[in-house]
Amino acid sequence: MRLKNKSNAKTAEARKKRLLSMLEQQGLNIYENLDKGKFPQFVIPSRSVSNIVYDKKIRQYILGSASAVRSSRNMSQLRSYTQLAWLAFFVNRLVREGKSSTLRDIYYSSQAFSIDFEDQPESDNIIVDLEAVLTSPREEFHIFPEERSSVFGDLTIEYTVPGYEGKRMNLSDHPDGYLIGPSLSSAELVDTSAELVIAIEKGGLFTRFVEEKVHKKFKAIIVDTAGQAPRSTRNLLRRLNNEMGLPVVILADGDVYGEHIAMVIKSGSANAAHLRELTVPDAKWLGVWATDIEKYKLPTIPMTESDIKRIYDLQKDPRYQEGNWKKQLEVFLKLKRKAELEAFSKYGLTNITDKYLPAKLEESKSF
Amino acid sequence: MSKEVFSQISPSEFFYRNRDLAGFSNPTRSLYTSVREFVENALDACDHKKILPDIHLSIKAVDPEQADPKHYILTVKDNGPGIDPEHIPLAFGTVLYGSKFGLKQARGMFGLGATMAILYGQITTNKPVTVKSCSDGKTLDEFVMLLDIQKNKPVIQKHTTKEGSKTGLAVSIVLEGDYSKAGSKIRDYVYQTSLITPYASITFEDPSGEKFHYARIVKDMPRPPTVIKPHPHGIDVETIRRMITDTHYQIPTIDNKMIDKIKKELSLKKNISPKEILERAQKRWSDISRPVRTVISVMSFLNIDFEGLKKIRIDDLDVANKTITYWDFGESQSHAVELNPDSPYYKQLASTVQGDTLLTFLTKRFQRVGPTTAEKFCEFAKFKPDKRIGSMTNEELVKLADALQKFEEFLAPDPSCLAPLGEEPLSKGIMKFFNPEFAAVWQRNASAYSGFPFIVEMGIAYGGDIPPNGLKVYRFANRIPLLYDEGSDVVLKIVNETEWARYKIKGDPPLVVVSHICSTRIPYKTVGKENVADRPELERELKNALQYLARKLAVHMSRQGAADMAKKRANLYSKYVPLIAQFATELAGKKKEPNYNQLIRMGSEIEEQV
Repeated sequence: MRLKNKSNAKTAEARKKRLLSMLEQQGLNIYENLDKGKFPQFVIPSRSVSNIVYDKKIRQYILGSASAVRSSRNMSQLRSYTQLAWLAFFVNRLVREGKSSTLRDIYYSSQAFSIDFEDQPESDNIIVDLEAVLTSPREEFHIFPEERSSVFGDLTIEYTVPGYEGKRMNLSDHPDGYLIGPSLSSAELVDTSAELVIAIEKGGLFTRFVEEKVHKKFKAIIVDTAGQAPRSTRNLLRRLNNEMGLPVVILADGDVYGEHIAMVIKSGSANAAHLRELTVPDAKWLGVWATDIEKYKLPTIPMTESDIKRIYDLQKDPRYQEGNWKKQLEVFLKLKRKAELEAFSKYGLTNITDKYLPAKLEESKSF
Repeated sequence: MSKEVFSQISPSEFFYRNRDLAGFSNPTRSLYTSVREFVENALDACDHKKILPDIHLSIKAVDPEQADPKHYILTVKDNGPGIDPEHIPLAFGTVLYGSKFGLKQARGMFGLGATMAILYGQITTNKPVTVKSCSDGKTLDEFVMLLDIQKNKPVIQKHTTKEGSKTGLAVSIVLEGDYSKAGSKIRDYVYQTSLITPYASITFEDPSGEKFHYARIVKDMPRPPTVIKPHPHGIDVETIRRMITDTHYQIPTIDNKMIDKIKKELSLKKNISPKEILERAQKRWSDISRPVRTVISVMSFLNIDFEGLKKIRIDDLDVANKTITYWDFGESQSHAVELNPDSPYYKQLASTVQGDTLLTFLTKRFQRVGPTTAEKFCEFAKFKPDKRIGSMTNEELVKLADALQKFEEFLAPDPSCLAPLGEEPLSKGIMKFFNPEFAAVWQRNASAYSGFPFIVEMGIAYGGDIPPNGLKVYRFANRIPLLYDEGSDVVLKIVNETEWARYKIKGDPPLVVVSHICSTRIPYKTVGKENVADRPELERELKNALQYLARKLAVHMSRQGAADMAKKRANLYSKYVPLIAQFATELAGKKKEPNYNQLIRMGSEIEEQV
């Protein structure tokens, strides 16, 4: 059965309108303050640890009610206030003109306006500030990270980027997969025959999966998250789940970081607590679980001290307080050993797709 | 059994054997010490005669190709008074011949160091010293000589005389040195000496031919020090004993020479009876000299006339038993005569033998002790004020010395023997050397430790040409830079104990502290004379001086800080507000920019928020 997305064409346009209106509102506010001889200011929801709370209802991290004021009255904030005003101005141009930019590009663009960021982390921070002020992810500002992950499978999209408007494309035409970049992120999702999305942590296995025709065998769209999934990838996963109604499953290394990659796709990260629309609350972590290491007799390597420290850290996280998430952390801590996805090649290169994946998919129906 | 041989060694030999003590331990240190000794001698000589010093120092390698340590020719030339040609061989060719004895501030002590340098040069290179001197502005004497170490005697190799035009002295020695290692210290020494001697012009030509010239900054010489009497706190039993011996008046031997003197003073033409002599002496008692008065007094008891007298020597005058014993050379016989305590001559004799009363001794022989203080002291020390010091027993002397140390009502030592540089020359020197954004100097009032007067002068300079490499301390004592052993010095201790953050000084500030201690005796920690010990009195003065200057600096810093901040604010708001306006205009979809001038003005004026 082919699914067709109907509602999306309007939502992209609506979101753009909403963003532009918020930007204009900020502009007017600053303009009037200046004219009246008042010091303009931004109210930024606080992203300090004490203001990040886990919302069980929407199953993700969100910001609490605390907020900070960045005022042009305060000399020590004047510079970063101006940087934020500039970014709003620049984003306004990007969105109006349908142009894209990257985090690095923003850092360099600032120089043309005498806005000197000391380094890219500083400009990255200002971008997060604006996200918080406008409660919108930077992808809506047309600002993308440099790192890109890929997608492959039977999915038809329709571009909205200038020059390609209306052009359609099927994502199974190129065996290397397609970069999840600005054009793909802003494209409308039109049609798919897939019934499942498999997110996989590593590029190597993504290629293997394509070679092994996993997309056909399991009627799946395969997404390479390239480690911790970038936001644009998480956004795509969410849209595949929301708009196309596809369940999402995740395969990551058998260690604490792999477990957390799955968790972030499912319920977001503390870093992006000021944002919504980046989570797939129903996504399922297929493996590799700590219990799988014993069950499938996988070759292992010992955990490092920082691995173990990471387990203790995550044990404090409210999302790891129950069920399988909690159990797997405990087993990892007991084993003090970890296994990579490649560990399955001990039993043959196709072992993971022939044996492990079907078994886990079967198992996943029950959790 | 071996027999021990005792033999006397000459002072030259003593110094030769102990040259490490005098700073001639190795070629590096020796070159540096030699430079110091000659330069300081030259400056002292000019100071003494109130001549604005012009000093030329040059160090040349005998063979520049050779590696260090090697032979160098060290020459120091000044425009001082020069030295009388007849004194030159002794002054430069013997150890312990000098003119700098006495209680006043001077750079060097006794002028020994220069001879040590000459000695060191001779030991290491076997080359003579050359001294050129012109003391009258007309003739220039040139001596080339060696030192006979065993005999402590100069050996003149050459002496020539020619026409001279200006007074001055030039000394040139050849010595083994290591300029590659000593160079930076010598350059520092010349630099710092110029800083603390702003009335001097100093030129230094180094072995590579590079010239360092420090021009005269001020034309006025500081007031010269005077020689003064000791302070009661500054002496010990041995010093008192020596002072008493000085006061002690010996009854002169009565011989023909003395008789002639008496006759002359009393205008005696012919022989008259002893009675008449006494009568005549009575009439003009206050006009006749002390020896004559004493002899007359003795004669009054002996009752012999001049005719029957050949030569007599007074052997003992026992005040307790009131007898006088004398030896008559003519009779070769000893006589004892009883003294009548009621006689007016008795008092004269008693006071002659027993010295001054304690009261007189205190007021006459010490600085700044008046009769009132002296009486108070006697009460404190439980001595009778009219106690004759000549009659004091050893125990009493110890008690006296002890009491002199403990009595706290003596006035502070007289600082007139000190020669501080003065606030104005110090300040001018600092301004010229560092061209600072801020500078302050302070001369503390004179103070004393253990009876030695001292004065602390200090300067502080901030910013300007001073590199921001952190605090730099220039230490001086009696106008000599102290370059070695910085770590254990009292000045460094005080500076390091200061909480600079309290004075708004942070990080590696462009900050210089110049400290000058003047004293008749600098309490050096070691014989090397490079670091000053932490005497509490000295520490207190240094601390007060530094705190005073640091507070002045803090005032400057906060003024500067406020001004900087205001300027910074103004700059920031002028830069950023127009940008914000530009961005807001486009964001808001307006054509015309808002009127933001008011905001720039307000931004520049807001007080810093706490």
